[in-house]
Amino acid sequence: MPDIMDYLQFILAPQMLNGLALGISVVLVALGLTIIFGLLDVINMSHGEFYAVGAFTALALSALGLNYWVLLALVPILLLPVGVLVERYLIRRVYDGGDRHVSTLLLTFGLALVIEDILKIIFGPNTHRPATPLPGATEILGVFIPTYRLALIGIGFVVIAAVALVVYRTRLGAMVRAASYDRNMAASLGVRVGWVYSGAYAFGIALAGLAGVLLAPIYSVFPTMGHDFILLAVTVVIVGGMGSIWGAVVAGISLTQVQAISALIISPVWGDAIIFGVMVVVLMFRPQGIFGRIGHA
Amino acid sequence: MLHIENLNAHYGLAHVLQGISLHAERGEVIGIFGRNGVGKTTFLKAIAGWLKPSGGRVLLDGTDLTAQSADAMNRAGFGFVPEDRRVFPGLTVEENLRLGLLGVRVKGAKSLDLAFDRFPRLAERRQQPGNTLSGGEQQMLAMARVVLAEPTVVLIDEPSEGLAPMIVAEVFAIIREMSAAGSIVLLVEQNVHEALAVCDRFIALERGAVVLAGEADSEPDRSALLKELAV
Repeated sequence: MPDIMDYLQFILAPQMLNGLALGISVVLVALGLTIIFGLLDVINMSHGEFYAVGAFTALALSALGLNYWVLLALVPILLLPVGVLVERYLIRRVYDGGDRHVSTLLLTFGLALVIEDILKIIFGPNTHRPATPLPGATEILGVFIPTYRLALIGIGFVVIAAVALVVYRTRLGAMVRAASYDRNMAASLGVRVGWVYSGAYAFGIALAGLAGVLLAPIYSVFPTMGHDFILLAVTVVIVGGMGSIWGAVVAGISLTQVQAISALIISPVWGDAIIFGVMVVVLMFRPQGIFGRIGHA
Repeated sequence: MLHIENLNAHYGLAHVLQGISLHAERGEVIGIFGRNGVGKTTFLKAIAGWLKPSGGRVLLDGTDLTAQSADAMNRAGFGFVPEDRRVFPGLTVEENLRLGLLGVRVKGAKSLDLAFDRFPRLAERRQQPGNTLSGGEQQMLAMARVVLAEPTVVLIDEPSEGLAPMIVAEVFAIIREMSAAGSIVLLVEQNVHEALAVCDRFIALERGAVVLAGEADSEPDRSALLKELAV
């Protein structure tokens, strides 16, 4: 019996909390991805690179002496105009011409390659490891958790709640959902659909950047850091339902818990295989995901 | 005054609107009739900004609004109640109506209370998602969110389609109210007899062009219209 308690306290609980920290970060990236897909019908292949841009921007600005907590607010704000420009001058140019999914997918994939190379040119290909803003561990019910990861979980929940509140409880959110359902009808009621699209894209990019800042002290910062993370985020979006905010939250937290626990029970090398296996099963039996698009759930 | 001059539109190579002209004064209801596929809905969409015209002009009180976006047309004073109502399914009745208030040009001039007073059934269902309403209630909601903005021009496409006679009477009563309030109404409707009762004038389309125009209260004009539509 004591062995079981020790296992729960010292192995399983810390592992699940680490999984939760990763899950919250994945949800932040997936939220941006799912909002962009739900509203613009665009699969943003450059999303992972904006996650990297967020981490590198924080790295560069912290070298100038800016406080980490300031960067947490500043970096997403700096990414907003970038998102507006990308939507207005790149995505919108191909949006209405021919096959939207293919053309926007190729465009954003090309943009991802350009961003990645720019990051390599500016920062070099090497890995950077920013200092943890909250060193040490906090004891909760006898379990020692890195304090920064606890803060990350808290911040993540606040951001997720704020996004849900804006989307489902405000007039701005109603305009976003209306434009997602029916672009023409929303416009005929006075919704400036062009601005809603730009705003939603910029907001999605800002969320990816925020996740980059949050995860930089935990994972290393390097130009291709978006690759692995974006695969996980896309899986979360597919399993949760492309365009569903609640789907991204539920799938993000569930899948990372599955990954964390399977690493203990089976082996860490099976983590990705299990998660992508779940995605394949969902695609086979419920291709629309657990939930629907924005506003549907 | 609404002035539509030689309006043309294409779907790819298909020339679907072939030079339609029309003028209307404040308070007038103009019926737009014709068999299926003659371009009635396309005509409204081209005015509303859903479809870019390939030629011609749309002027309201002398201002050229041709090929403006749908939101710009809303700000210019156009309201559109399209076929199938297009109620936002996951938004509540109240959220649907609040979107209608975006078009209110004089801030504070209208409130949700006004819509709920006029449409008490919607007040009872204000927190229900739009897709849980009956067809008649959805039609009321679609019209209420346009009425709130007091548009200068209202474009209404097939409002009575699939509705019970009692609801149809209510729909036409709202059209009369809009007209009495000074709105210009362009009404596409299959139910010709009911529609003529609220119309001042009408046009009939055939292959995207006007083939007949007349006064709604002129018996010879009505006979000519019915003959045209019966062909």
